Amino acid sequence: MTDYRNPPIPEGINVHPQHPLKEFFWMLAAVGIALTVAIALLIALANYLVTFVPFEMEQRLAQHMEVNYFQPGDAPPTPALIYLQSLGHSLAQAQQAPHPIRIHLLDSDDINAFATLGGHIFISRGLLEVMPNENALAMVLAHEIAHISHRDPIIATGRGLTVALAIMSLTGVGDGAMAHQLASQFSLVTQLSFSRSAEAAADLRALETLRQYYGHTLGADALFNYLVAEQGRGNALAEQPLLALLNSHPLHADRIATINAFTGSNHNGQGQLTPLPANWLAPRTD
Amino acid sequence: MESLIILVVLTTLGYAFGSVIERRHFASIIAREHLLRNIMCFSARTPPSDIGPVDSQLVGGNVVISIDYFKLIAAALRGLIGGRVSAYETLVERARREAILRMKVAAQDLGATQIFNVKLETASIYNGYQQQTGSVEVYAYGTALIPHTS
Repeated sequence: MTDYRNPPIPEGINVHPQHPLKEFFWMLAAVGIALTVAIALLIALANYLVTFVPFEMEQRLAQHMEVNYFQPGDAPPTPALIYLQSLGHSLAQAQQAPHPIRIHLLDSDDINAFATLGGHIFISRGLLEVMPNENALAMVLAHEIAHISHRDPIIATGRGLTVALAIMSLTGVGDGAMAHQLASQFSLVTQLSFSRSAEAAADLRALETLRQYYGHTLGADALFNYLVAEQGRGNALAEQPLLALLNSHPLHADRIATINAFTGSNHNGQGQLTPLPANWLAPRTD
Repeated sequence: MESLIILVVLTTLGYAFGSVIERRHFASIIAREHLLRNIMCFSARTPPSDIGPVDSQLVGGNVVISIDYFKLIAAALRGLIGGRVSAYETLVERARREAILRMKVAAQDLGATQIFNVKLETASIYNGYQQQTGSVEVYAYGTALIPHTS
């Protein structure tokens, strides 16, 4: 039996000597960086390609949006809506907006306004109620019209879809689930968030529109002044748009500074604020 | 966001419990291997001709070891990058050595001194959600040679 032995086997032959946590975080960092680069490339590509999507296609996509956001077609338009649409139309002309827009009223106390696919603009009743004059309202409308002129909603949708697709392909979600996810994306188009540079560009174009329409940009900062004041008072409603739908917007103070700089460089001290029509926001009877 | 928190908590718990259990298991394996060194294992199919009068009997030892959540995530990351899946290497090593130890205990109970024709079978059991391996089974078996005491 001299040939048959079981010598002790040294430890650590089969086991990797590296600490498991060190290896884990190294792999996490590598995968994270690769993923970030890949998604950034995809977003850049999507941002470029999506501008070739015709506006008519965007309008068809918009039909998939949640129906309850739209006013029922047979309901008579309220005076406020008629006024908003006429003001929006004039501003779109002043801006030389290339696409048709449609304005909708949201019956909500939130102070909110947003542009979405297909040239649809939503404005909440809460926002209208705090408007001191037409100039302030025109600034909001012109800002949202500028988003549509710049194709920001379809860019944001394309970006969202690209990221969702990339993540789903990587995590290996099945085809059925993917189709379901894509479909559900369209119900979320009312929650598009635009990039900060898109918001700044929309602000600038809105100011140019106001100057074209009124001859000056006085009163353009009224909403932001109001929001800053309300935030100072701890009003939750004034915070909400920032946290919810408008969270990519530049800070109120930055926007006021931009508006003041624009007004200062273009304003000759002339100009008057245009009042809102009397009783335009008649209390609802229902 | 919730699912991310759950993932981080599960991974942390998996690492905390998994690493303690693994460390203790390796210490126990090394200690018991030392105690059972007198029972020798060979993969040769037949014993040498000068072995003398012996009885033979089949002995086996079986173990199932589960992965923890940390190993699951580490292996999934490794699956994206490629390379040695060290999270599973330690797991399989523990299972292999534990199965041989249990086989040796069975042989010791019979009064055997050697085990010939030792073979190992492995199986992954519970291929559950998305074909993720839940645990590994190793079965060690061989022919125990029991010297005649008379």
